[in-house]
Amino acid sequence: MSAPVTTGTGADTARPPQRRVDPARWVRDNLFPTPFNSVLTLVFAPLVVWATWRFARFLVVSARWEIVETNLTLYVVGGFPREQLWRLWLALTILAAVFGLLGGVVGVTAREAAVAAGRTTATTRWDRLARLGPPALLLLVLLGFSRTFTPLLLTGAVVAIGLSLSLVARRIPAALRRAVPLITVAGVVVSLYSISSFGGVPRDEWGGLLITMYYTIGALVVSYPVGILFALGRRSSLPMVRWVCGAYVEFFRGSPLITLLFTGWLVLPFFLPADFPTPTLVTRALIIFILFTSAYVAEIVRGGLQAVGRGQWEAAQALGLSPWKQTRLIVLPQALRAVIPGLVGQAISLFKDTTLVLIIGQQDLLAIAQNVTKQDEFLGQGYIIESLVFVGIVYWVASYWLSKESQRLEVRLGVGQR
Amino acid sequence: MAETQQQRPGRATAGQDGPARPPLWRDVRVLRGVLQVGFLVATVALVQWLFGNLTSNLDRLGIRRDFTFLDQPAGFSILGAPDFRAQDTIQNALLLGLGNAVRVAILGVLLSLLIGIVVGVARLSKNWLVARSASAYVELLRNIPPLVLVIFFYLGVLATLPRLTEATFLGDVAIISNRGIWVAWLTFGDGSQPFLTAAAVALVVALGVARWRTTVFDRTGTPHRRVLWAAATFAVVTALAFSVLQPPIEPSLPVLDGRVVTGGAWLYPEYLSLLLSLVLYASSFIAEIVRGSILAVHKGQNEAADALGLSSSQRMRYVILPQALRIAAPAIGNEFLNLTKNVSLGIAVGFAEILRVANTAAGNGQPAPQLLIVVLGAYLFLSLIISVIVNVFNRRLQLVER
Amino acid sequence: MKRSIRIASVALAAGLVLSACASDEEATDAADPAAPEETVTVDPAQTEGGLLAAVQERGTLICGVSQGLPGFSIQGDDGTYTGFDVDYCRAVAAAVLGDADAVDFVELSASARFTALQAGEIDVLIRNTTWTATRDRNEGGSFAATTFYDGQGMMVDTDSGFDTIDDMANTTICVQAGTTTQLNLESQFAARGLPYTALTFEGNDQLQAAYFEGRCDGWTSDLSQLAAFRGTWPDEQGGAESVKILPDVISKEPLGPLTSDGDSEWFDVVQWVVFATFQAEEFGISSANVDSIVASTNPDEEPAIGRFLGLVDGFDPGLGLSPDWAVNVISQVGNYEEIFLRNVGPDTPLGLSRGVNSLWTDGGLLYAPPFR
Repeated sequence: MSAPVTTGTGADTARPPQRRVDPARWVRDNLFPTPFNSVLTLVFAPLVVWATWRFARFLVVSARWEIVETNLTLYVVGGFPREQLWRLWLALTILAAVFGLLGGVVGVTAREAAVAAGRTTATTRWDRLARLGPPALLLLVLLGFSRTFTPLLLTGAVVAIGLSLSLVARRIPAALRRAVPLITVAGVVVSLYSISSFGGVPRDEWGGLLITMYYTIGALVVSYPVGILFALGRRSSLPMVRWVCGAYVEFFRGSPLITLLFTGWLVLPFFLPADFPTPTLVTRALIIFILFTSAYVAEIVRGGLQAVGRGQWEAAQALGLSPWKQTRLIVLPQALRAVIPGLVGQAISLFKDTTLVLIIGQQDLLAIAQNVTKQDEFLGQGYIIESLVFVGIVYWVASYWLSKESQRLEVRLGVGQR
Repeated sequence: MAETQQQRPGRATAGQDGPARPPLWRDVRVLRGVLQVGFLVATVALVQWLFGNLTSNLDRLGIRRDFTFLDQPAGFSILGAPDFRAQDTIQNALLLGLGNAVRVAILGVLLSLLIGIVVGVARLSKNWLVARSASAYVELLRNIPPLVLVIFFYLGVLATLPRLTEATFLGDVAIISNRGIWVAWLTFGDGSQPFLTAAAVALVVALGVARWRTTVFDRTGTPHRRVLWAAATFAVVTALAFSVLQPPIEPSLPVLDGRVVTGGAWLYPEYLSLLLSLVLYASSFIAEIVRGSILAVHKGQNEAADALGLSSSQRMRYVILPQALRIAAPAIGNEFLNLTKNVSLGIAVGFAEILRVANTAAGNGQPAPQLLIVVLGAYLFLSLIISVIVNVFNRRLQLVER
Repeated sequence: MKRSIRIASVALAAGLVLSACASDEEATDAADPAAPEETVTVDPAQTEGGLLAAVQERGTLICGVSQGLPGFSIQGDDGTYTGFDVDYCRAVAAAVLGDADAVDFVELSASARFTALQAGEIDVLIRNTTWTATRDRNEGGSFAATTFYDGQGMMVDTDSGFDTIDDMANTTICVQAGTTTQLNLESQFAARGLPYTALTFEGNDQLQAAYFEGRCDGWTSDLSQLAAFRGTWPDEQGGAESVKILPDVISKEPLGPLTSDGDSEWFDVVQWVVFATFQAEEFGISSANVDSIVASTNPDEEPAIGRFLGLVDGFDPGLGLSPDWAVNVISQVGNYEEIFLRNVGPDTPLGLSRGVNSLWTDGGLLYAPPFR
């Protein structure tokens, strides 16, 4: 039987086509190959069964999920005024539309480029389904606790808009594709402003998953270009520039993020002139995330720059390119391609690190998970476990999704295979 | 402000293509000099501007700018340090916090390395169940923010243990309650110093014996059995020292007496939850690094070892792991750095590391800017030490290789 | 395509930075996003009277309160704040802006409160903060007045067998970190020679959770706070009867509002708002009768009341407020008695009696200097 290439649950490496295996033989080969392994299996099997059983039973039977059901909105947006929630749906719709458009265009462009280069982009249906798993799980976890159907319907509408626009994007003439990234940027900015401006909700009233996402995306977008500049500075031929950039990177990499956040919280306002308006705590925390992440990005990109051979610079020089063009057109593209997994890893780290704002009194997802247990009806009854498990799953699925996408990207780009 | 920003990065590479105008401008050396001086001046000006604002703001608000507060009495006690008195100085409190941080970091590094290697090897096991369990361990832990782990262990696990009045006893050796876990330990009396010195000497002697056995093995090829030799040496010397010196060292068992437990070592929830979560989190990353490094060891090495007739555990122990760890060392060193910095997560559960101590002092009226400078300096110092150790280790590994 | 991606990413970065800056302005002036920039410049001390003018121009008062302390400041399901400290925020807003509802509340932890005041994030800190010499001097703030005379106490389980603090040798005590309470605990137990372990927490809610779990034998805090938590003790944990407050009073804890150092005009405003609530009770003026008293008072016959209510032509103490500011405070918030009884009095879960928080005429400590 010529079965299609299937990947088993969570298999990391592509396997040869599977043959039909005798179960008894499989058990002998994989569970009891040697006496030592038999002992291991006998020790591990009850443990694994017990742990799985306990966890599944907790999730399905014994957990009192009403704390999540009651406070779902709080987990997602925190203290965001409820009568303004339509702004978030509006922003989500705009984002879904522009990213659907962008996704469609990028997909079509990549496919055409692949065809032109004679590569095949063989993805099985199973692969595509597996890719959809984590985001679908994330939505399921979030929407599954909703007591009304409104969020489900609205999410469905938003997803539908995004998907239909990605289909539309495939038919956009090539000449118009150039405009799509600009439209995306405009869409992101408009969606941001549609939440906070025009009588909207200032950022210090955001909370929950919303503020977590704001910190993650805001810090990423600013710190990646800044980090690249610092990486170039560290590779500069001018010693002074090298030292200053090196000192910056080493300082921020050597300091714990919490201590830096404390500095941003308690001391940063003093670094500004007396007649300067004090930035809100949200902005100060964002600044610290940017400074911190830029240093890590600089270090990652520096690794990529080092991996680009001397010959590339010399070849670029021989072509008569200016130093700026040598960097921009020849070296950086190669360097960045080599470090994309590292950069995605840094994004995942940042996402997880946003939990630290809880310590400086911000109402992020983790802080709300703790706070809801202090409501009168849940106080002092040990609901913290349910609450933490819920946000733990949200963090886990999102990080897992990003890391899987990063691995996929790594394979697609052929990083490390040259 | 505006001009300082313009002169920041980017200029470095952009500046070299100056237009071909008068000789002075074309002179690359002059140009480079001017650029560097300009860059430095801009940086210094920016830093000076920031600190000028800081001092003038502090003066305006009447907040002290010196470090004399370090000599003032702290006024608070520190959890897990019964010998610390409220009259002791803030400086001592901060040092104690630093000591706590270092202790957790060292223990965390050792445990996470151990667990990381075991799990990393287990992920490549031929035993399907073991490999899958190890994968689950890694995927589960490395995708959860460490702060969630710390809080979960603190509030979700350790706090749900029985109350002290209903504590669980494991014979005489351990008491388990939500106020902490007490385990049997040793008490070192006042006169135990000479014996401890003797034990240290015994350790050095044992290491020397091990080295001697290795050279003998290298020269003659007789089995070295260096672990056995070293252990025997150590045991004999310490036993001798113990019987001669009669040190006042006694086993100390935890005893519950009303509301207090006396004796034993107290693993309090703040400490335990921090250590556990840091070890679990870091070990998941180390396991992934170890796995990657093992896969990166050339296949031929394994086949050659096989051809020599080594068993699979011998292949791993003598051929693969030594090479894999060499590849993994820099990345593992990075994880050690991360773990050390993550010790500051202890503030979320009230573990008295240095940031927590500084924060308490700041709440009691001591100046926050200076305190944070001290904390940042301390953590930078720890990071530096770890970097140096890792670098030295790396260099030694590389030298051994070729 | 590539070029436009590049332009796009730069524009996106710029847009985010800009929007971050824009949101700061909105945060301080949410009512009118198009307000000119100088109105949002909160500048506590640059010029004399800067903060009063800034607050009046902004149209809202930014008041720092505690993170959920029943009876003092607590946010309801509908997002509104109530409590003793909250009422004083509202009183200041009523005096300065004529509208007690024009307040933005900022919840602050014990460790963060002084920095928020120093950095100008808040106009006034009314967060059950104890007046001490160090704080008055070192923390860059000034205590305007005492609104609540408190003392530190100890709460234990009713069936614990403790009747006085002296019974509490070898115990574990829960206390909030970075407070005077923590320091008093140390000195008290040291002075009494009682060995103990202090378990510190950043917030009262974490502390309460630990107490529920039996991690500590006693909970020490200001008596008013203990009463607040005891009064709202959940039934799942045995209700209010399961815990008791020991009779010992460990220390003096005068609580009151703070303003930033170096702005004496603003300091005076906050101080006299507090005095106005005392004086109104002394005059017998409450929110119920203030309108009729204003209508019926003849300033020539009762000049003291006339001056207090702004009915005497030509009398202006120079606080920079409208003449009827005290009327606004009383009609919109109430006098001291009303504020006390509404939030912490015998009919509330806290069930506190007036005690030393009575007028000087009743043998208490509340005393307002004359309004003239």
